[in-house]
Amino acid sequence: MSQNSKGRYVYCVAESGEKCSLGNIGLDNNEVYSISHHDLCAVVHNCPAEPYSSDEQETVRQWVIVHQKVVEAALNRFGTILPMAFDTIVQDTDEGSAEDNIRKWLAAERDKLKRKLDRVRDKEEYGIQISWEPKVIAAAISRTAPHIQELQAEISSKSKGLAYMYRQRLEKLLKQEVEREAERCFKDFYIRIKGCVSELKVERTKKQEDKQMLMNLSCLVPKGETGLLADELGKIDDMDGLSVHFTGPWPPYSFVKVD
Amino acid sequence: MASLQLCESRLGMEPTRDLHGTLSDLLDRVLDKGLIINADIIITVSGIPLIAVNLRAAIAGMETMLEYGVMTDWDEKTRARERELKKGKVLLGAKS
Repeated sequence: MSQNSKGRYVYCVAESGEKCSLGNIGLDNNEVYSISHHDLCAVVHNCPAEPYSSDEQETVRQWVIVHQKVVEAALNRFGTILPMAFDTIVQDTDEGSAEDNIRKWLAAERDKLKRKLDRVRDKEEYGIQISWEPKVIAAAISRTAPHIQELQAEISSKSKGLAYMYRQRLEKLLKQEVEREAERCFKDFYIRIKGCVSELKVERTKKQEDKQMLMNLSCLVPKGETGLLADELGKIDDMDGLSVHFTGPWPPYSFVKVD
Repeated sequence: MASLQLCESRLGMEPTRDLHGTLSDLLDRVLDKGLIINADIIITVSGIPLIAVNLRAAIAGMETMLEYGVMTDWDEKTRARERELKKGKVLLGAKS
């Protein structure tokens, strides 16, 4: 892709004034390099001024993986970075070329970018998804909650018709108890995890096939200090009916927006 | 002996970076998050920044990543975020 291409695909902003090439590691094997302004740079490749789009899932998947690999290469090279969202393409305008526009943007946003870089310096992002199996939790509750046990005992002494009504009441009660337990776990886990990380963010929960996601979290942790968090998550993962999906370290994708 | 075994099993969890096991986590981050340039220098579709607009259609069927659970909303923040998301979705749907 020539220098004259009208677009620059931006992977991340890095804390470095260095102008250098990272090699042909970009989307479609394009050369990735830095465009700098003072002590900041944007890591980019040259592309036409049109979006990357495809109906092929596999193509999209591969693009996202390459995007991530470039961001990681920049992270290793420059230390502190702000990863961009996929498909961020700066283009030529009447005011100047794409490259000029990036420099102007770096200059205009310098203070904001610096503050964001300060926030994530020497920290890494981790993802934590805690799920549970409602059936296992419900079974545990019906073994231990006195009012539910009482109701269960009563059912056996009732006639067929009454027993049916009792069972319905029991089910409703159990559902309420599971909800209450979910709320209790959410608060308890949130506080325990919060104590092990620099920043914690609650994300939307997602549908799962075989279990239910209780909480979806992103957190920032100082480099090399995941020990406490790992212990805490290990304890939660050991609990009956609960499982923890712990991923990372990630570049700080979840901590680059102004809250 | 029993207590020794207990100690050993209490070693913390290792975070995973294995691509196969973390692909949906990666997609969540790269497509939905990351820094956004709020300026007229980036390519947009009808005034909406392009970020992931075209990709959503391709990805939607891939996993249930855009279908979020219906657990009780515990805190105001989560609810507020969800409302924002719904508004955003309607907008994207109308224009793309």
